Amino acid sequence: MSSFALEVKSLTKKIGKKTIVDNVSFQVKKGEIFGLLGPNGAGKTTIIRMIVSLINRSGGEVIINGRDLDDEFTLAMDNLGAIVENPEFYKYLSGYKNLRHYERMALSDIPGSRIKEVTELVGLEEAIHDKVKTYSLGMRQRLGVAQAILHKPSLLILDEPTNGLDPQGIREFREYLRKLANEGTSVLVSSHLLSEMQQMCDRFAIIERGKLVVISSMNEEKETDIHDVEFEVNDSVRAADLVRRYFPDAGLAAKGLQRLSISAARDTIPEINRMLVENEILVYEIINVKASLEERFLEITGKEREAYQA
Amino acid sequence: MIGLIQNEMMKIFGKKASWIYMVAIVLAILIGGIIYVKFTEDSNPNWRSEMKAEVTQLEAQVKSSKDKGEKEFLQREIEQKQYYLKENIDPNSKTSWHFMNEVVMGVSSLVTLFVVIVGSANVSAEFSDGTIKQLLIRPHRRWSVLLSKYIAMVLYALMMVAVLVVSGYLISIILCGNSDFNMKMYEMTLDGQKIAEAGPQFFMKILYLLPSLFVIMTIAFMLSTLFKSQALAVGIGIFVLFFSSTVGGLIVMLADKYTWAKFLIFPHLDLKIFAFQDKIMGNITLPMSLGILGVYYLIFIVVTFVFFQKRDISI
Ligand SMILES: Nc1ncnc2c1ncn2[C@@H]1O[C@H](COP(=O)(O)OP(=O)(O)O)[C@@H](O)[C@H]1O
Ligand SMILES: [Mg+2]
Repeated sequence: MSSFALEVKSLTKKIGKKTIVDNVSFQVKKGEIFGLLGPNGAGKTTIIRMIVSLINRSGGEVIINGRDLDDEFTLAMDNLGAIVENPEFYKYLSGYKNLRHYERMALSDIPGSRIKEVTELVGLEEAIHDKVKTYSLGMRQRLGVAQAILHKPSLLILDEPTNGLDPQGIREFREYLRKLANEGTSVLVSSHLLSEMQQMCDRFAIIERGKLVVISSMNEEKETDIHDVEFEVNDSVRAADLVRRYFPDAGLAAKGLQRLSISAARDTIPEINRMLVENEILVYEIINVKASLEERFLEITGKEREAYQA
Repeated sequence: MIGLIQNEMMKIFGKKASWIYMVAIVLAILIGGIIYVKFTEDSNPNWRSEMKAEVTQLEAQVKSSKDKGEKEFLQREIEQKQYYLKENIDPNSKTSWHFMNEVVMGVSSLVTLFVVIVGSANVSAEFSDGTIKQLLIRPHRRWSVLLSKYIAMVLYALMMVAVLVVSGYLISIILCGNSDFNMKMYEMTLDGQKIAEAGPQFFMKILYLLPSLFVIMTIAFMLSTLFKSQALAVGIGIFVLFFSSTVGGLIVMLADKYTWAKFLIFPHLDLKIFAFQDKIMGNITLPMSLGILGVYYLIFIVVTFVFFQKRDISI
């Protein structure tokens, strides 16, 4: 079995002459919450629609739990639960009947108690036998989650799930996702809000005009995760030589005479610092590139906003 | 697949309209039946002697008449009545099987209308409501989801026909009393005239109704996959239904001149005509009509499934 819940390789979507999604690749690990961050119109929904096979791919591969959508469609799809944009239901049926509907569509038999279980999980016991047309937006959102996790999928895909939720609802939702992830479900979630991604995800990818710009890790606890930092030093050329000699595994790039950008495991960064200091390099500052990522994102969304105003 | 079909049936009958259409069929038969019983000429136990008297009277009129056209008309009238007398058919008799042939068959076009409405809403409503995206992210191939919808539609159509026949039969017995299944009956309609046994004639018409009902339903179903708007799909579906029934007659005239017109779908959409005639448009027999319908049916099914399989769901 694959160690990834989802592998996306060179995903591309062209409509007419426009390339809406351009060669996007990423992987979601088992039990990980992975985000797609990007301003409106960046192509997040299009990426998600291709993964859940609502729209055709112009190119690329999607592998869910080790099963390629092109080769083992039904088995791949059985591992998947999703809400694409707003969850829509058969309004003339009760919430319960809507869930029964999706229960019957699962490949494996779902025990009769499962509907009750997810209903309680999302807190809809009171209203579950009412018609969906009487539900508030928040209730529909919760029913959406219920239908997505009904068959215990190993991969949950949520497109802007917090749209329309109040801050309290968003917090609950976040905790709930974390709980699911701890139980082993992997989550792919999209948003146009940086802060939301930072709070919700282990890692996220920034999507800009259909392209994947960068993947950033939020998980600071893991000491072995690769981090990007910039050292401000008095002599970047000599510092680079030293790093290359003592830490041959670290990624390295000089940026001008005083700046050195380094990718290394989090726990080796203080060691690099000590080594530099011991070799009489003056270290003025160590900058976490996550911050500049933030700038990068704000820059993207800022441009977007200017474009709206123009 | 069974689960998928179960789902589709649940959705069809989850909508009030689907029930209302069934009730409407029953009501239409009831109202039509009451009008039929109350407001058409009643049969008379002494019809034979009265008809004989009418014949004598008409014969007198023929003698006194000077106009040639009038004479011919009266002569035909006389022949008709003598024919009734000879075959012992009361033209005004209203037995339960007459009722089935007249009233229930009349209401059958309502069945077609309702089936078209439900059929053209079937897939398009999933697009209108946005539920299609939740439906197609399941571990089922698109074609099997669509097939389950189609099968559910067929089942609904068959149920509507069953409601028509069963409720028609019950109402006919209530209003007219039971009668002889094999009794002779004289039928004269736009499609032609003939003497037939009333019961078998009725079931023959229902049988002839089914292929056309299926094809029209399939057209409606195709429309419902082509259009994302339920209102548009239903509107066009109803338009096609009325257009085909109007244009059918025109095509028959056209077919006198041009052979290709015989292969248009419209004249074959009402096969009930074969309950009266062996051939239509000169040389088209029932098997030929069925063959032509079959070809159209295949085309519609292929278009529907291929289009649905390939389309991008981006609502
Ligand atoms: N069916 C379509 N035809 C043409 N352009 C489309 C279509 N769907 C999406 N787009 C365009 O693709 C871009 C990405 O859209 P989308 O994936 O919805 O972005 P996001 O979810 O990140 O807001 C937008 O510019 C949008 O206008
Ligand atoms: Mg979107």
